[in-house]
Amino acid sequence: MLASRRNFFSFLGLPRKLNLDIADLDERYRALSRQFHPDYFFHSPPAERRASLESTSYLNDAYRTLKNPVARIEYLLNLEGMVEPGTRPANAGAAAAVPPALLEQVFALNEELDEIRAEREQGAPADRIQARLDRARVTVERQHVEHEECLRQLAVDWDATGDRRVLEALKERLAERNYIKNLLAGIERELAALENLSA
Amino acid sequence: MNEMGGGRIVGIDLGTTNSLVAYVSGGVPSVIRDRGGDALVPSVVSIDRAGTVYVGREAQRRLLIEAGRTAYSIKRFMGKGIEDVRGEARHMPFHIGGDAVVKIGLGERAFTPPELSAFVLRELKHRAAAFFTARGDADPGVDRAVVTVPAYFNDAQRTATRDAGRIAGLDVVRIINEPTAACLAYGLDRTRTGVIAVYDLGGGTFDISILRVEDQVFQVLATNGDTHLGGDDIDVRLMDFVLEQRPPGSYGTPEARQELRRAVIQGKCDLSELGETSIDGMTLTRGQFETLIAPIVERTVGPCRQAMADANVAPSEIDEVVLVGGSSRIPLVRRIAEQLFGRKPHTDLNPDEVVALGAAVQADILMTGNRTMLLLDVTPLSLGIETMGGATSKIITRNSPIPATGSEIFTTGVDNQTAVDIHVVQGERELVQDNRSLARFKLRGIPPMAAGLPRVQVHFQIDADGILSVTASELRTQVEQTIEVKPSYGLTDEEVERMLLDSFEHAEADFEARLLIDARNEAETVIHATEKSLRHPDFAAVEREQFAQGERQKIESIVAGLKMVMGSRDRETIQKWTKALNDATGHLAEIMINRSVQAALAGKHIDDA
Repeated sequence: MLASRRNFFSFLGLPRKLNLDIADLDERYRALSRQFHPDYFFHSPPAERRASLESTSYLNDAYRTLKNPVARIEYLLNLEGMVEPGTRPANAGAAAAVPPALLEQVFALNEELDEIRAEREQGAPADRIQARLDRARVTVERQHVEHEECLRQLAVDWDATGDRRVLEALKERLAERNYIKNLLAGIERELAALENLSA
Repeated sequence: MNEMGGGRIVGIDLGTTNSLVAYVSGGVPSVIRDRGGDALVPSVVSIDRAGTVYVGREAQRRLLIEAGRTAYSIKRFMGKGIEDVRGEARHMPFHIGGDAVVKIGLGERAFTPPELSAFVLRELKHRAAAFFTARGDADPGVDRAVVTVPAYFNDAQRTATRDAGRIAGLDVVRIINEPTAACLAYGLDRTRTGVIAVYDLGGGTFDISILRVEDQVFQVLATNGDTHLGGDDIDVRLMDFVLEQRPPGSYGTPEARQELRRAVIQGKCDLSELGETSIDGMTLTRGQFETLIAPIVERTVGPCRQAMADANVAPSEIDEVVLVGGSSRIPLVRRIAEQLFGRKPHTDLNPDEVVALGAAVQADILMTGNRTMLLLDVTPLSLGIETMGGATSKIITRNSPIPATGSEIFTTGVDNQTAVDIHVVQGERELVQDNRSLARFKLRGIPPMAAGLPRVQVHFQIDADGILSVTASELRTQVEQTIEVKPSYGLTDEEVERMLLDSFEHAEADFEARLLIDARNEAETVIHATEKSLRHPDFAAVEREQFAQGERQKIESIVAGLKMVMGSRDRETIQKWTKALNDATGHLAEIMINRSVQAALAGKHIDDA
């Protein structure tokens, strides 16, 4: 493929940094779209049309990846050889082992959820279960916010130093973040089940 | 502008209720109208016992005569399997069958939705060609078009639309989304920058698109919708309402049911202007109407909120709201849109025509290579594949700009396995069974290796039309894989080819029907003119002073004869009698013209009635 020899950052004329000016990214995206878009190559020979389609696809993939802060980090880790190419860390959370830093907490939360489920089956009042679930959620959400802040700080560090140890930390925090997302989803599912019950 | 016939591309809005065709001349888009000034071709197809195909108004009239041979709202069946539409056909007079592709039975024959849509497209093609002929273009033929679809149409529905074009002998060079097209049409005379929400409630589908317009680049940020929500649902609700009030068994025949449907639609339109109307003798106030339809209109709210969330814009950040689609004329719809976005919507362009105008603008961009404007659209639904346990693994998420690519690496589960099955789905749900199955692929020709060793990369490409294609290769050996595509819903290439061939037969029947209609129209015109002259106050004097013996009787007998043959299907006889009447009245016409000229010279007023 024509454009794949490069990477998303260089294709958009950007340095390999994690803090991007989104307005600038948007403007670059529009300018390059004007350059490559298939609409402007309708009468061109097949080879040019193909190149236009491939370049525009690559541009669009680059834009949607770099516009999203988390996808941007994942892409950088990939680019820097921190992740086995072709595997997709975004979906790895479900099957992945529990990150060591979260072990204790995951254990406690699972226990709590088991208890809540048991209570529900025994017909405990909905508001009581709701309160327990809300407490569990607040804890995990607080952790989620802390993690986001941590990722932001690491992104700043990477942009300033280019230190590969920062990438290691980013990778770990990202794995944890995905795991926390799964925990939150688990609580949401319980809450939804509760709502269905009372509906 | 240089407008060569061969290079011409028109814009077509293939709607649930009405379809229309538009083109750009000198940078200005306009819709193509028939001689009566009508731009809308009702998306209705009817086939009589002799096999003649009727499209548009003629077909619509036949709904009241031969409902069982007439199909409408065909768009709701595009790209659908029979299990999707079982609940859909309530009140519809035609028979629905088929399996992975719906078949609509009209009399003895059954048609797929793309075949029926092709009849509508062919009618638009004829209309456009007639217009370019009348304009004196050297090559008036129309064989390429930009066709619009609801933004929320999935891959199967888009492919069905492209197939319909092929069957109609029309190369669909680009499929664009209806709300985006509308935005293009609105954006023509503006150079402003801002965020625009397009709320498009049509006959059968609802779309919401959020766009950012900057430097004449129309960038869709997010889109959402419901391809089963529109004016049709309002009509069905009203029909049920009337039926509930009437004794059981009322409107028992399909034709009576269609009479009711027509009355209900008329009532619905009245209530956009009036506070009260009557449907078949039953009074309905606007308040009652709004209570009835509120649950339907409120179904548009969820998609709008989701689209704003996906676009990452708050209602307060939306600069303009554009309403599109016939159902956006309903005051309740306008109020709900206004509440949602907190500002008064634009309605300056005709909501029935704006989408076709936008399609014409896009056609012009392709045709001329004009780089002033650019449309950047997104895919409405996530693309995923089935993984272990029936879960969906997303490869390209919804609202990704298109064209887009994605890839996934597959491996084998047992030693020396040479083929892998892949199931591609579209939708947002976790489980494969809750999403829309697009296709099943079999990857073959994987070199025999130990389990888990092959690395087969499957490459997904969504093109600018929002349609998917798939390629694959084994990374260790660089062996290109062959892929057998089995679309879950939709026609194979061979089926489309066959339908294209079949359509030539229809085209002939079609052509004959058109000639017959033309002959009848001409006969009617001549009869009308003759009768007008015979009723003229001066006629008695004309007959006395200037007519030969028996001239009036001869004219009258030919008129009577022509009236008798007019209802027949014998075009040549109709034309023979028309010519006879023309010949017999030549003298009379000459006299009447002379008299009116003399009268005008004398300053005497001629009553033309």
